[in-house]
Amino acid sequence: MKLDNVAVLGVGMTRFGVYRDRSNIDLAREAGLAALGDAGISFKDVGEAFVGYLGAQPMTGIRAMKEFGLTGLPVTHVENASATGLVAFRDAAWAVASGRCQVAMALGFDKMTEMGMGSRGVGRGIGRDAIDSVILPAAYFSLWAMRRMHERGTKPEHFAAIAAKNWNFGAKNPWSDRQPDHAVTVEEVLASRKIAEPLTAMMSCPVDDGAACVILASKELARRLQPGRPLVAPIVSTLQSETYARGHTFMGPVVGPPSMTRDTARQAYDESGIDPMDVSVTLVHDAFASEELEYYELLGFCREGEAEKLVEEKQTHLGGRFPFNTDGGLIARGHPGGPTGLAQIFELTRQLRGEAGPRQVANARIGLAHLVGGGSVCTVSILKRE
Amino acid sequence: MSEVRKLRVPIEPGFFTVPDDPSAPPRLLGSRCAVCGEHFFPRRQVCARCLAGGTQDVELSPRGTLYTWTYVHFPLFGSKRADHAGGYGVGQVDLPEGPRVQAVLQGGPDDFRIGMEMELELETLRENKEGQDVVIHRFRPVGASR
Repeated sequence: MKLDNVAVLGVGMTRFGVYRDRSNIDLAREAGLAALGDAGISFKDVGEAFVGYLGAQPMTGIRAMKEFGLTGLPVTHVENASATGLVAFRDAAWAVASGRCQVAMALGFDKMTEMGMGSRGVGRGIGRDAIDSVILPAAYFSLWAMRRMHERGTKPEHFAAIAAKNWNFGAKNPWSDRQPDHAVTVEEVLASRKIAEPLTAMMSCPVDDGAACVILASKELARRLQPGRPLVAPIVSTLQSETYARGHTFMGPVVGPPSMTRDTARQAYDESGIDPMDVSVTLVHDAFASEELEYYELLGFCREGEAEKLVEEKQTHLGGRFPFNTDGGLIARGHPGGPTGLAQIFELTRQLRGEAGPRQVANARIGLAHLVGGGSVCTVSILKRE
Repeated sequence: MSEVRKLRVPIEPGFFTVPDDPSAPPRLLGSRCAVCGEHFFPRRQVCARCLAGGTQDVELSPRGTLYTWTYVHFPLFGSKRADHAGGYGVGQVDLPEGPRVQAVLQGGPDDFRIGMEMELELETLRENKEGQDVVIHRFRPVGASR
């Protein structure tokens, strides 16, 4: 169902990285206050909040919200693994679009550096000494990558080129964890430590801490409060869990089959009337560079078997036909968990407002955010500058 | 037979058989939908395809085809524990009944090819307090030595 009468009023985030001396709640306060400042409203104007994280104790979301004040607003915890932030955004957008409130907040935070190494349920890999030996995500996505190489002749150089692009976008983004001081090359990515065939460390996202926040409001309110600013409107947000098909693997995988992305994106295009060819800038779940290559096809930016050509022609770089992960993506900007999807909305909002500085996509009009999450789910949101 | 054979126990019951004779192939424990005939691993009560309740327990074929594989060089992300050093194969094996099973593979990074025939075996992980061998299922290329 298409979203109507909802706009992004404000965005804020911490730079993602390692924050040994700061708590989740401290990071959440910084991101939330930044978003309230960007929105130009007081916390008492927020009618409802959705809070997402993976690694903190139950109730941490409610406690984090108290940092802004105790106004009695409804607060809901949202957890959908890596997709958490984008699903909190979806719920907040619908809270406004349904008329339930005028202003809603989506807040995400996490300290992945403190999540139990190898603990069950976190999805970091528990090794082989368990019946449901959930392997580390790199190994699981390597299974996709190896199959892709078998079917399409994809080379590790293709994955390395995507990783290098995202590292180099990170250098242009002050909120990115990884901001390399030199132009990262394909050779450098290939020479980094091998994690699981064919993926190397530099093709993989870092382990991050951080927080991000998005505030949504009705369009009338956004126009009234921010008369001089381009209106950025979420127009659709879809969320799917897995659909059974022969070959479904019930034990071991971190996330469902690639087709989840195709189905979830198709639903978003159908409901919004947007064609992939209309999309100016796209942010995806590039926890591993091989994923991004698959998503070029699954999100409909090229036909099956043509993703390698898109890489070779640099069509997903700045100035290309389909700029992808302009903030560095999960690989450079980082991937703490809960806030990741809200950092995507942060970047899309800045792109659509024309505030993205050296990484600005010329005349960006429509942005797409995509995440997959363990369990598993896929979610796609499309935003439009009006 | 003069040697006293150690008792083998599964790491978790309900997923695979542990034959008394170690040379006999183990079987994965699956389900078959009584209505549409779809097979599943592991066992489930409700058919994921047609949603009918009341599946039947079956033992699945111990052989299948390698759909995809990887070799993990960095077994536990961020781990500095010595027993996490080294690597191991992981793959997805298509069984003739339909299920695609993800499991650890026996062998080195040069031993696997997509499409090759694989067979199920049991790997001893450790000895428990009762002196029994705790075993888990894995696949190896057909013809490879144990």
